[in-house]
Amino acid sequence: MQSQDFPQLASIEQIEQGFESFGYICSRKIATSVFLAFALRKPILVEGPPGVGKTELAKTTAMLLDTPLIRLQCYEGLDEAKALYEWKYGKQLLYTQVLKEKLGDLLQGAQGLAESVERLHQFGDIFYSEDFLEPRPLLKAMQQEKGAILLIDEVDKSDYEFESLLLEILSDYQISIPEIGTIKARTTPMVFLTSNNSREISDALKRRCLHLYIPFPTVELEERIILSRVPDVDARLRHQLVEFVHSLRQLDLKKVPAISETIDWARSLLLMHADQLDEDLVRTTLNVLLKFEDDIESTDADLRIMVRDSASA
Amino acid sequence: MHSNLVSFIQVLRSRDVRVSPAESLDAVDVAATLGYSNRSLLRDGLAMTLAKTPEEEVIFLQCFDRFFHCELADFNPADSPQTTDQDEPPPAPGSGGDAQAQDGDPGDEVSPLEIAARDNPILQSLLQSPLMQSLVQNDRNELTVAMTQAAEQVGLQQIQMFTQKGQFTRKILDALGEEHIRNAVIALERAGDPALVEVQRYRDILREQVRDYVEREYLLHAEGKTRQFMDEILSKTRLNNIEHMYLHKVHELVRKMAKKLISRHSRKRRHLKRGQLNMAKTMRKGIPTDGVMFNTYWRQVRKEKPQILAICDVSGSVAAYAKFLLLFLHSLQDVLPKVRSFAFSNHLGEVSEYFNDYPVEKAIELVNWKYGGATDYGNSLMDFAKLALDDINSNTTVIILGDARNNNGDPKLEIMQSIYQRSRQVIWLNPELRRSWGTGDSEMLRYQSACHFTAECNNLKQLERIVDQLLKSIE
Repeated sequence: MQSQDFPQLASIEQIEQGFESFGYICSRKIATSVFLAFALRKPILVEGPPGVGKTELAKTTAMLLDTPLIRLQCYEGLDEAKALYEWKYGKQLLYTQVLKEKLGDLLQGAQGLAESVERLHQFGDIFYSEDFLEPRPLLKAMQQEKGAILLIDEVDKSDYEFESLLLEILSDYQISIPEIGTIKARTTPMVFLTSNNSREISDALKRRCLHLYIPFPTVELEERIILSRVPDVDARLRHQLVEFVHSLRQLDLKKVPAISETIDWARSLLLMHADQLDEDLVRTTLNVLLKFEDDIESTDADLRIMVRDSASA
Repeated sequence: MHSNLVSFIQVLRSRDVRVSPAESLDAVDVAATLGYSNRSLLRDGLAMTLAKTPEEEVIFLQCFDRFFHCELADFNPADSPQTTDQDEPPPAPGSGGDAQAQDGDPGDEVSPLEIAARDNPILQSLLQSPLMQSLVQNDRNELTVAMTQAAEQVGLQQIQMFTQKGQFTRKILDALGEEHIRNAVIALERAGDPALVEVQRYRDILREQVRDYVEREYLLHAEGKTRQFMDEILSKTRLNNIEHMYLHKVHELVRKMAKKLISRHSRKRRHLKRGQLNMAKTMRKGIPTDGVMFNTYWRQVRKEKPQILAICDVSGSVAAYAKFLLLFLHSLQDVLPKVRSFAFSNHLGEVSEYFNDYPVEKAIELVNWKYGGATDYGNSLMDFAKLALDDINSNTTVIILGDARNNNGDPKLEIMQSIYQRSRQVIWLNPELRRSWGTGDSEMLRYQSACHFTAECNNLKQLERIVDQLLKSIE
């Protein structure tokens, strides 16, 4: 992607404002990373706890640049046939059947096997050309004329073999297909990789990326996020609910509530016409924030104090 | 500025942040893109290329703040907290004369010295030296530059050990021309001059600043090296000779070694051996191609996960070693999912659940407390046979750690032999030197006959090598 085509990414401040206009409130660090990734043409490896907006970052960047978002969801057993390309076997077979007679015409008058093969050679490897290539997400991203955002989601779920497959794409933006040769990206796509840290990503992959760690946001930042996503919530309630979620994150829970859960909770409180937090309200809606029965039970005892603290904060 | 960035990367490397040359190039690109004017922006940007984990980021931020320490050294002789006031703008270079007027304090204090200098030749010549002049005028720019130059001249960046700090401080002071002040102090002392106190104070301020500077540079360049040296020594020391105060360092070291082993061995986690042809799938996948089986599909051979039984002697003589073996094995959860541990001295019990319920250090403490005592191998082996002999199969590796000193009791060799026959391998680690095996009440030579592999194991290096071999053998 050329920088003159995308004035939205000209400076860090512009990126921040641009994101904000799409409802993605980000810290300065996140904007810096997007700026650098674009300027240096490097992929970003985004790490952080679930639900802090890793995937959302890629989506918003795609919206901001108005380019297609091509997403590859990783899982165990993902291989190149599903990530890179596959030959259209059916089409190849169909064409050979249809062209059988044509083949007969072609070979007419050829003396012996050697000459027939010689004649066939003149027509090259038609069946292994780009027409018979089924592009999968990675190849598709390389083929976009005007650039694309490539999101490789949860790369830590894939196998080590797949990681090595990514290396060529991430450093040179090209794909080698044995039958055709090397396909270079028409326009360098912008690549986001996300990881939940369920296993260590190899050093080779890390080395090729900018490393961005998104932690849970500060109280101020999270309030701004709620303000932009659920604007109808009363200012006092907004402050209280964010404070409460932050105090929940301090506890030792199986799954701490993420930003997306805070947003959901704000929406549900809005539906219940609440204008401030109280213990009963929190207790009845706690299942929006906490997804494990154990967590709900263990917080139950401290609920009164936590609600009081966040109400007075 | 690039050379500055490169030496910053050197500092990071000495702190165990791995930075490859390619990443250094990226860092240079980042710095060129972001510019050097905005400090926090540059810090964020560099952090993204140089630090690859949250832990590394913490180290990075610490080093960044130390390295790009932009504060000027303060030579203001006012001995009040005012000296720490960093907001005070440094005097512009070249306007040295005006600098003393910025604060009432130094201006007032200079005059008595100057007055005294009028009828004192020693002071007069002293005040004319450039160092003293900038000191008296508190020309911080000038002094900081002089100090940095002096440090470069004496090669301060080569500092390796904390013992060199004093030596480098002296060298820098000499290079700055401190001997003028020193000589003046001696002369004034002899003469009993009242100006002595004032001059001494300037000297002390200068010394303190240089000492601080050396300290900062030491922390930056040498602390990492000293630590590497320390780690090297610790990993070669006999484990029960390590002083108590270093134990937490050893724990860190074990973790680091375990991490290395994990990354070395976790790659081969998936077993790719091809099994029988999966006929059904091959036919099904052949349907689009008119029944022509383009691709063949194979079943995978599932390999049983290896099981490890670690039996540790926790009696006084061996407890220190057992601790580290257990620490090692339980730090390897990622590559050794099924570790069961047993501890014994005169009787034996399974201690695996301690490791599930508590952090490793705490668990080891509990184990030592519960099973410590005098050793009885025979009895303990019988206990083990009752507990786990039936679980031993051809996937089981049994690791025994002990000195095999049985206090002249019945060794129960037959139990060892049945373990030997059932298991995949039996490894015996003995912290004693090989030549003392079999001496006195040691039953090692007899037990050795029922082991696939025996090794002397009394420092971390040996332990690491053995665990590495173990991981290789069970893949």
